[in-house]
Amino acid sequence: MTTHTVTIANRESATYQVNARRPLLEQLRDQGVDLPYGCEYGGCITCAAKLVEGEVDQRRQVALNNRQIDNGYVILCVARATSDITLEIGVDSHDKLYRNPFLDPLKPHELKADIAMPQPSSSKAIGQEKEG
Amino acid sequence: MECCGPGYASPSDAIKAPREKLLYTIAIYTGTGIQKPDYLATVDVDPDSPTYSQVIHRLEMPGIGDELHHMGWNACSSCFEDENMSRKYLILPGVRSNNLHIVDTATDPRAPRLHKVIEGAQIKSQTNLSGPHTVHCLGSEIIISMLGNAKGEAPGGYLHLDKEFEIQGRWENSMGDIKFGYDFWYQPRHNVMVSSEWAAPNTFMPGFDLEEVGHLKYGRELHFWDFEAREPVESFYLGEDGLLPLEVKFHHDPDSTHGFCGAALSTNVIHWWKNDAGKWQWEKIIDVENEQHPDWPIPLPGVMSAILISMDDKYLYLNNWLHGDMRQYDISDPHNPVLTGQVFMGGLLGKAPSVNGVDVAGGPQMFQLSLDGKRLYVTTSLFSTWDNQFYPEIREKGGVMVQIDCDPVNGGMKINEDFIVDFGQEPNGPSRCHEARYPGGDCTSDIWL
Ligand code: FES
Repeated sequence: MTTHTVTIANRESATYQVNARRPLLEQLRDQGVDLPYGCEYGGCITCAAKLVEGEVDQRRQVALNNRQIDNGYVILCVARATSDITLEIGVDSHDKLYRNPFLDPLKPHELKADIAMPQPSSSKAIGQEKEG
Repeated sequence: MECCGPGYASPSDAIKAPREKLLYTIAIYTGTGIQKPDYLATVDVDPDSPTYSQVIHRLEMPGIGDELHHMGWNACSSCFEDENMSRKYLILPGVRSNNLHIVDTATDPRAPRLHKVIEGAQIKSQTNLSGPHTVHCLGSEIIISMLGNAKGEAPGGYLHLDKEFEIQGRWENSMGDIKFGYDFWYQPRHNVMVSSEWAAPNTFMPGFDLEEVGHLKYGRELHFWDFEAREPVESFYLGEDGLLPLEVKFHHDPDSTHGFCGAALSTNVIHWWKNDAGKWQWEKIIDVENEQHPDWPIPLPGVMSAILISMDDKYLYLNNWLHGDMRQYDISDPHNPVLTGQVFMGGLLGKAPSVNGVDVAGGPQMFQLSLDGKRLYVTTSLFSTWDNQFYPEIREKGGVMVQIDCDPVNGGMKINEDFIVDFGQEPNGPSRCHEARYPGGDCTSDIWL
């Protein structure tokens, strides 16, 4: 059984051991961490946390758009640790999770995965996108 | 009429019912950062009571993370002639958890108690449905619009419960080509149900990505059902006039074919009716213009997330959640509504940042009208993730409930200065109130057969 260490940066850097095959939410809750959650299948964003260090596999999540992923958000109810990780949890970590969509639009590559355009790979491409 | 079952013989009898003394509203902690269950709050609305305008009881749900939202009764005036039925249980779905909480409000109306929980996991495994929204009783049975399948994908369907709250399976025989679900209302004398469209739970639950509207991830159609056959028979594509068609209301008069829907993002009211040739028609009757916000580069839509029809079918009430106003229209001629009242409470335009001494985070959102049409109770939170996007200060301030006094004869609206419930002061920290119901029925719960 592969285990990894989870450090929770905004809970006095408390550490927990987790199994690499099970979602983080249930394992951390089992060890007494008080975490928000809602749907428990990766669709509602309530359990989002910020990954500060390390890697997770969160292929099953459907709640985050690509900008939220770029900002480090992970969906704890479906994410599994694939290395030792450091998280910030709870709404204190949600500073970049919510935006006013009228004031701060997403670029085409920042949408959710199923409708996102490929990310422009060079500054030239970004320039073209602006002109277009 | 000497009878027997719950509710009233007719809308005109309902209007004459005794004044409400209590109301129930849900209040959420889901998405607020406070690790407590959502709850059903009992609010004292009797001006002669020493606890007037206060929360006098809180019924916590068993777990956290439900996101209580809308509610519905086990029985309404459609069971008026059934002496075996009573309006005893309020059904509180959790949009995120999928749990259905059945609450007994009759044993002690001031202190409702939990009667039963139907677990979300059981609903998913038996019916492949999730994302419960609107609850209506159908005679002695109950149906609930469910906005997604078990994976949160549209269009979902309708959950059917019997009067003992046992799962009967799916209510509908077909969803036809319907892309999304949301609200519904039915008019049995015309064998019709109308349903509207929000989005898949996986689309709206995480928050509002405006760009997804253009990618057709949000609805823009209304659906007319053969109610007895339990299948959709006709759809209206509303286009840009009908982006996010949410709340659906028929006239209370069971003979009427007129109904209304608020298109939230377009901020329009859509009206439908059956013409003399027996064909369903629709038109846009109210179009709330976008407003210029002092600091925004783009105009601000109203976001009409709810509408309500007074019990006498004379007035339509609507909200503009982002502009911050509640409006009253005289719809005596449903083709030609006349604006007769408007008040501001909160909103992004800064026109009424506080009401009766309480800072309002959010804007007018859900509302419930007394049966006599004189008191409109308005709350300010829409949905936790959407609140967090548009009104982040609601996290510290919580929601509020305001009472607007309405003139049902000449029209007009005015904020009642003696009433305000500040959910920012709740014992466990700021919570957010949403839909409200009265123990004796209200203007959004009863349908007549
Ligand atoms: S609890 Fe809903 S996404 Fe994790």
